[in-house]
Amino acid sequence: MKVLVAEDDMIMLKTIEVRLKKDGYNVITAQDGKEALRKFEQQAPDLIITDIMMPFMSGLEIVGAVKKQGGKDTPIIVLSTMGQENVVLEAFKLGADDFITKPFSPKELSMRVQRYAQKMENT
Amino acid sequence: MKEFYLFPVIIYTLLILLFLVTVLIMYFTIHREESDLNKIAWRHSVGVVIVGVVFSEGVEEGCEAMTYEFERRLNKKGYKNYLIDELIKSKRAFSGSSANSLKLLYERLNLDIDSFAKLHHAKWHIRAKGIQELGIMEQTKYRKEIFWLANDKHELVRNEAQCAMVSFFGWSGLSFLNAIEHQMSQWHQVQLLDKLSDVKPDAFEDIREWMESTNESVIVFAVKLATLYKCHEVYQGVVKCLQSPNSQVKISALEYLRLMPQEDTSDHMIDNYYAGDTGYKLAVITALKDIGSEKEIPFLVKELDDQDNDIKVAVANSLSTLHPLGNGFFETYPFAKTKPWKEIFFQITNKKIA
Repeated sequence: MKVLVAEDDMIMLKTIEVRLKKDGYNVITAQDGKEALRKFEQQAPDLIITDIMMPFMSGLEIVGAVKKQGGKDTPIIVLSTMGQENVVLEAFKLGADDFITKPFSPKELSMRVQRYAQKMENT
Repeated sequence: MKEFYLFPVIIYTLLILLFLVTVLIMYFTIHREESDLNKIAWRHSVGVVIVGVVFSEGVEEGCEAMTYEFERRLNKKGYKNYLIDELIKSKRAFSGSSANSLKLLYERLNLDIDSFAKLHHAKWHIRAKGIQELGIMEQTKYRKEIFWLANDKHELVRNEAQCAMVSFFGWSGLSFLNAIEHQMSQWHQVQLLDKLSDVKPDAFEDIREWMESTNESVIVFAVKLATLYKCHEVYQGVVKCLQSPNSQVKISALEYLRLMPQEDTSDHMIDNYYAGDTGYKLAVITALKDIGSEKEIPFLVKELDDQDNDIKVAVANSLSTLHPLGNGFFETYPFAKTKPWKEIFFQITNKKIA
């Protein structure tokens, strides 16, 4: 399974990348929203994990753009921080499938991704 | 003749200036490039160590990612500060064993000593940063120093110290309330209450003591705590707060009484009604709408004569709820057909229909 991770914090991005690679996924990374959208168009990932606050293009804009650009069936997990409940609701309205609030454990993220991988295997 | 000699001097001066500017530009460009390269190298080495620690079973295993270069760079103050910033950011982003490993790394590298040194800095924002770092990294061993900073002359330093105390010790961290001389802002009180929302109070006796404080913001906060924890034990103390000359104390007491009324609550509210300002009066009338009964109707009818139109509107609203006739009461009022009551009653009746 191909996972696109969009996160502007390099350490966070690297941590998620290492975790998912350990789990055996093919990981594509992007450090800003525009790069994420470009990589989505070029590489058609099976799952997207995106931070909400990012330069050039926010996570919300990514969700909206992906769902419009033929990515209706691509699940999107949004990474939010405490106090961003309204933004998460907005993301759900735009088509996001799940969210994780920081602070989170890398294991938790891994389990959520695994759930989507199993769903995809079953369909 | 003089001009003839001056011309080459001006040309040479301009050339020298041009040369100096070029040298300066080159120097700063090279310096900037070096610093950018350094930052990239720093980011990489810090990233490798932090990612290693986040995924390690123990901090020792994670520290295997530390290179000689990493340890050498630790002697540089700028690098250390950068490392602390990144550790703090990661500690905020991760939970569970990863967060614990990050804390252990911070301690192992003695970075707590650097954060602690910031507490004594002359610049307030560095003191605040030091407290924040120690707070996020759960360095409870510095509680004494942080406790004293809870009464610092700078508001943001105090706020950070007070938040850190509550993060460390929950309810007992509030002991700074016995010592603070400065006022707590409303915003900071909200922040503290948010931190306390999952905390179980140790003793309501503390709230009773804080309600006797000479610092009025502590009284306001104590009443808010009593409201948050639905603390019926301090009811009499809260009633006493209605007599305070401070409007914030009165308003917070009203909020408590509105949510936890007893039989005599409306009587206490009315007894202290005329000692308050318009804001307080409006709050009493609105509270009576929620907790009052037919017993309060004569008082409310009298207040329909108040000079202030906002009070008239609030009273009419409460009467439409409490009066057995509901909106029908408006027709029985002797001045119902005159200004401004006619407009007020019309407005309320129409709002209810809508």
